[in-house]
Amino acid sequence: MSKIVIETTEVLKKRDLGQNCFHLILGTFSKTKSIKPGQFIHIKTINGGGVFFRRAFSIFDINPKENSIEILFKVFGRGTAELSKAQKGDKINVMGPLGNGFTLPSKKITSIIAGGGIGMPPLYFLAKYMIEKGYNSEKIWFFYGGKTKNELMELSKIKKLGINLVISTDDGSYGFKGFVSQAINDNFDGLNGQNILFACGPLGLLKAIDQMALREKMSGQISLEAPMPCGIGICLGCILPLREGGYTRVCREGPVYKIGEVIL
Amino acid sequence: MTPDLSIEIAGMKFNNPILTASGTCGYGEELADVFDLSHIGGIVTKSITVKPREGHPPPRTAETDSGMLNAIGLANVGVDRFIAEKLRFLEKFDTRVIVNVAGSTTQEYVDICSRLADYPRADMVELNFSCPNVQHGMAVATNPSLAENTVKEVTRVFSRPVIAKLSPNVTDITEIARACENGGASALSLINTLVGMAVDIETFRPRLTNNTGGLSGPAIKPVALAMVHKVYKAVRIPLIGIGGISNYRDVVEFFLCGARAVQIGTALFVQPDTPIQIIKDLKNYLSKNKFKNINEIVGQLRIY
Repeated sequence: MSKIVIETTEVLKKRDLGQNCFHLILGTFSKTKSIKPGQFIHIKTINGGGVFFRRAFSIFDINPKENSIEILFKVFGRGTAELSKAQKGDKINVMGPLGNGFTLPSKKITSIIAGGGIGMPPLYFLAKYMIEKGYNSEKIWFFYGGKTKNELMELSKIKKLGINLVISTDDGSYGFKGFVSQAINDNFDGLNGQNILFACGPLGLLKAIDQMALREKMSGQISLEAPMPCGIGICLGCILPLREGGYTRVCREGPVYKIGEVIL
Repeated sequence: MTPDLSIEIAGMKFNNPILTASGTCGYGEELADVFDLSHIGGIVTKSITVKPREGHPPPRTAETDSGMLNAIGLANVGVDRFIAEKLRFLEKFDTRVIVNVAGSTTQEYVDICSRLADYPRADMVELNFSCPNVQHGMAVATNPSLAENTVKEVTRVFSRPVIAKLSPNVTDITEIARACENGGASALSLINTLVGMAVDIETFRPRLTNNTGGLSGPAIKPVALAMVHKVYKAVRIPLIGIGGISNYRDVVEFFLCGARAVQIGTALFVQPDTPIQIIKDLKNYLSKNKFKNINEIVGQLRIY
C-alpha cells in the first residue's frame, strides 16, 4: 500500500472569501483519515499557460466521514490564479498526504499557536485536532493576526473551537492593534519554558517567534514554505539552509521544523 | 496475449524499457512511497561523486513554459554513503540499478566505478558526460578524445556494462557518440538537459543562483528525438532515449527513432507514477497494433 496516493478528486464546494482568498472542499481522497495537521497536498492546477508544476497547499481541515479535504488559499501567482477558477464539480488531481506535520505536545503544557495571514489554515487544523484528541481547551491559545480586518478568514469557525483566541491586526481595524508577536507578549502571562509555540505565517512573524522562543527558552515548531516543484523530495528544489550546515528539503524533511533548526 | 516489454542491453535483461532518469528520482527511496520500484525496468540514480556535495544555493529550480530549469549542482551523498545506505535499500527490488557517476577528472570516474565494481547490485554505470552545471561535466561532454579515454579507463575497472550519457550542448552529437562507442561504451543515453536561462523582470536577476541551468521537460522532446535519430544512424550500440517523456506516445516516438529503452525524468516531478501508467498504456498500444514484442518497433521510423 502506497504511503502517498495520486487521485482525481472533485470540487465538492467552493467559496469566495473575498480579498482574493478561496475555500475549496475536495473529495473523495482515500488517504483523508491518515492526514496529520501540518501536512500538505500537491495539486495539479493546470498544465499550460506557464504553469507546469503542481502547487502545494496546507490542509485547513479534513472530513473523515466523506473523505474530503479542505484548503484555504490566496491568489499569489499563476498556479493559485488557475485554481481559483475551479468550480463545483470540476476534477482536481491531488497528491498526498505529504510532509511531516506537527508533533503533538504533552497534554500538560500550554500550547501557544501563532498564525499570520495565509499561515492560519494548518494551525486551525492543529488546534481542532488537539481538541479532538482530548487536549484541554484552556491550555490552547490561538493568536491570529492579519494586516487588516478584511484579511482575517473563517473567524467564526475558529471561535467555535472554544479555545483562547486573540485576534490582532497591524492597523487595529479589528482586535488588538499590532503584530502577532506583540499580541502574545501583551496578552499572555507567564511565557516560559512550560509553554510550546506553534507558528506559521509570513517571514516577519516567524522571525519574531524564533526570537521569542530563544529569549524565553521555549521550544516550538514552525511550518515553512518554499516553492516546491515535486513535493516528494526528488527534485531537490525546495531547499533551505540548516543551522548545523547543509540543506533540508522543505517538502520531505519539513514543512514543520523545530524552532532554530532552519536559518530563516 | 500480453505483449512482451522486456528488452536487453549489453546482454542484461530488463523487465521493461521504462527507467527513471538520473537526478529526478534520488536513490529510489521517495518514489518507493508512491509505487513498487520492481514494476519499472530500472532506476538510474542521482549522480554520485567521490565526496558528498551539497549543491548550489537556492533557488536552483525554475518553472518554465512546458518544462523547467535546474542547477542543483550535483548534490549527492558521495560514493561511500551511497554504497553503505542507498545501494542496500535498492537490494530488495526486482529492477535494474544503474548508478550515474560524475567526476571532475578521468581518475575520479575511475575511482568511483572501481568501488562500485565490487557491488553487483550496481548492474551498470552511466557516466554523466553532460552535466551543464559543473565545469568538468561540460569539458568531457564536448571533447571526444577526453570522453573516449574516460570510457576506456572506466571499462578497465568496471566489467559490467558502461553507459555514456550525452549532452545536447554540442555542435555534432554523433562525434562524441562515436568516440564513446570506440572507448568501449555498451550503450549511450541521450539527451541530458539543454543550457538555458530564466529571468526575473522585477529584480533583473536570473531565476537561478547558478545564472544558467539545464532545461528539461516536454519543451526539449523534439530536440531529443532528432538527436536520438541522428545518433541511431551513427553507432551500433543501443540507445536509451531521454527528454521530455511523459506518456506512452512519447515512448513510442523515441523507439521509432531508434531507442531501445527510455528514461522518464522531469515528468516524475509532476506525476511521480508516470512510469506505471506508461507501462500499462504501452502494452495496450502494442496489442492494438498487433506487435508481440516492443523490440519490433525500434528504429522503424519511415523517413522522407
